[in-house]
Amino acid sequence: MKKMFRFAAMAVAIMSTLALVACGGEKKDDKAAAAKEIKIGGIIDLSGPTSSVGVPYSEGVKAGVAYLNAQGGIAGMKINFDLQDDAYNVQQGLTIYKKFAQDKIVAIQGYGTNVTEALMRSAAKDEITYFSASYSAHLTDPKTAPFNFFTSADYSTQARAALKYFKENWKESRKPKLALLFPDHPYGISPIQAIKDFAAEQGFELVGEANVDLKAIDATTQLLPLKEKKPDFIWCGGTTPSTAVILKDAKKIGLKATFFTNIWGSDENLIKMAGDACEGAYSLQAAAVYGQDVPGMKTILELTKNQPQMTHYVRGFVSMLVMGEGIRLAAAKGPVTGASIKAALETMKDFDPMGLAPKVSFLPTDHRPSMAVFLYKIVDGKLTFVTQETLDRKAEWLGK
Amino acid sequence: MRGKCGLFFESYRAEAAVFQSGFQKTCLGLFVAALLLSPWVLDSYFVSMLNLICIAVIGAVSLNLLTGVCGQISLGHGAFLGVGAYAAAQATMHGVPFLAALLLGGFAAALAGMVFGVPSLRLKGIYLAIATLAAQLILEYVFLHWESATGGSRGLSVDAPNILGFAFNNERRMFYLLFSIAALSLLMVTNVMRTRHGRAFVSIRDFYLSAEIAGVNLFAYKLAAFGLSSFLAGVAGGLWAHYTLFLSAEQFNIGLSISYLAMIIIGGLGSVTGSVMGAVFMTLLPEVLNGLSGAISDVLPNISQHINALREGVFGLVLILFLIFEPEGLANRWRLIKAYWKLYPFAH
Repeated sequence: MKKMFRFAAMAVAIMSTLALVACGGEKKDDKAAAAKEIKIGGIIDLSGPTSSVGVPYSEGVKAGVAYLNAQGGIAGMKINFDLQDDAYNVQQGLTIYKKFAQDKIVAIQGYGTNVTEALMRSAAKDEITYFSASYSAHLTDPKTAPFNFFTSADYSTQARAALKYFKENWKESRKPKLALLFPDHPYGISPIQAIKDFAAEQGFELVGEANVDLKAIDATTQLLPLKEKKPDFIWCGGTTPSTAVILKDAKKIGLKATFFTNIWGSDENLIKMAGDACEGAYSLQAAAVYGQDVPGMKTILELTKNQPQMTHYVRGFVSMLVMGEGIRLAAAKGPVTGASIKAALETMKDFDPMGLAPKVSFLPTDHRPSMAVFLYKIVDGKLTFVTQETLDRKAEWLGK
Repeated sequence: MRGKCGLFFESYRAEAAVFQSGFQKTCLGLFVAALLLSPWVLDSYFVSMLNLICIAVIGAVSLNLLTGVCGQISLGHGAFLGVGAYAAAQATMHGVPFLAALLLGGFAAALAGMVFGVPSLRLKGIYLAIATLAAQLILEYVFLHWESATGGSRGLSVDAPNILGFAFNNERRMFYLLFSIAALSLLMVTNVMRTRHGRAFVSIRDFYLSAEIAGVNLFAYKLAAFGLSSFLAGVAGGLWAHYTLFLSAEQFNIGLSISYLAMIIIGGLGSVTGSVMGAVFMTLLPEVLNGLSGAISDVLPNISQHINALREGVFGLVLILFLIFEPEGLANRWRLIKAYWKLYPFAH
């Protein structure tokens, strides 16, 4: 009997919270109707395995929205950014997306590879422009992903840029030796073929490859056989935690090589995790690091009130700037819809996101935002800018 | 008010009936009718939730047949779903009609399930769990590396289902397709449980030695349970593929297998109604938590980050609370509620 009441009370509590949630939703809709504004959805990992980088990225996107709104919005319209957490889970990403699609949202700031890929077809069907922080090369081919955009060079291009830079600065007469360490995971595998092809083309000798899991706590098993082959360069294709493990173990067993990673493989956190073991490692990035001497940094410093942020924050900011520019171009031509933003973005030529990232251009047949990559080297525990390496926009690299 | 103070059966046939009273039939009929009408009333977000629930129901009831009814634990259910998804997607891509492709997906998954079910003859309990976990890991590897079939790390694009020229390309249409297949699966499992074969499954679960002495061929029936369960899982996978329109290896990871296990534990092991309740609960819980954390962060914006982190903890906490306070699942709670109201107001 008592239990019965308890259960009934629980049911009432759940129902009332549900009702509350439902009311909350309604209120928001009223507001949206009242003021003239553009609603943009956010499907970003705020919890789950990738949240350590997802949160700063989302903060950057939010800062971008605040910045654009402070400038008077886009074509007189304020941006209403509705940020939701997908917890790196496809099903949750899918339900959030369905909610957005029903609200007739025109654009989404997305995030991880799994959710972005799972929504690729739906976004194309519903004509919603989808920006992601998953830089898989196949998302740049409008034939498979017509409504997908991002603002950084893709993973394959990032790696190619590093290889080109290393080759240009190679002084010895022998071939440089390259080894690859990457997780057996879609994210880790996606640039591997491109790296192998380009390395062969540039005259690298591939001396070894091994899998290091994203959640690895030890990499000596993979590094010991590599040590004997004496690679000059080692690609770490995981995320920051696995890179930290590799670098620390490499130092422990005395493996000396130049390590390089993509955008998610090293950031400000790597220095905290790996200490001096990460000294000399290269990090390929697509946005300035906090405090770097570029025109837009003043705005970032103001927005963050001088509280240092990760480079992912800056990239999130840039992603929003580019999306905003797309909306502005679309508004200049007519009504703002997902399709008109897409069409407008495809006319974008050399848009400069305040120097915070390489210039962005899109073509109707080619959604590669840029072929330029920022190379950073960790010197004295700081990401230090080395150079901007720009590749040719080769047609055969599109989507690969 | 005219009625009996209980259900009294005069034949075994009546006792084994799926619907035992007219009242039950009426209620269920009204419920199904309400569900069938709901896509015209609800907006597409809620319909999409119903769609996800339908897919989860098929997956959950199939695992319940294996784990709840036959007593064979499986940590590879998510991977079997994946086998069905990839097989059905490949079939439709090669021009096989949707329903045939769905069946093909089911058979492919059944085959995989039976292969990985072979160790069940020798292994029980935690050992079988590890063996099926191995199936999960092996199949995940296959999904990622068999590029010609699965698209490897690039994934596989799938088209919306199309039956005789009718495209199921929006939520409402999808709902009717998914709902009817989910209803068919529930009917199928309910009926399997009523047959001699179903009773053989139960006898294996309750005590394998007695079952064998009573003449149940353990190996054949365990394999049959794996096959049948994986078949339905494959169908669920095929539907998932054609609903989300994109497949990647990450979708069928160990997390999916665990979430199906959680569904049947929360819902009630060995109960068809329980599978449905568990599927509904597990699909809606993240949404409710999402809504709650959204509502809280509207009021207290400063703590929204902590709320997000907390949400994962709450999810785990809910599971633990269920195991402690509702060890027999939601289905049992539902039975108790019904019993309470049946005798109202003269409950003891």
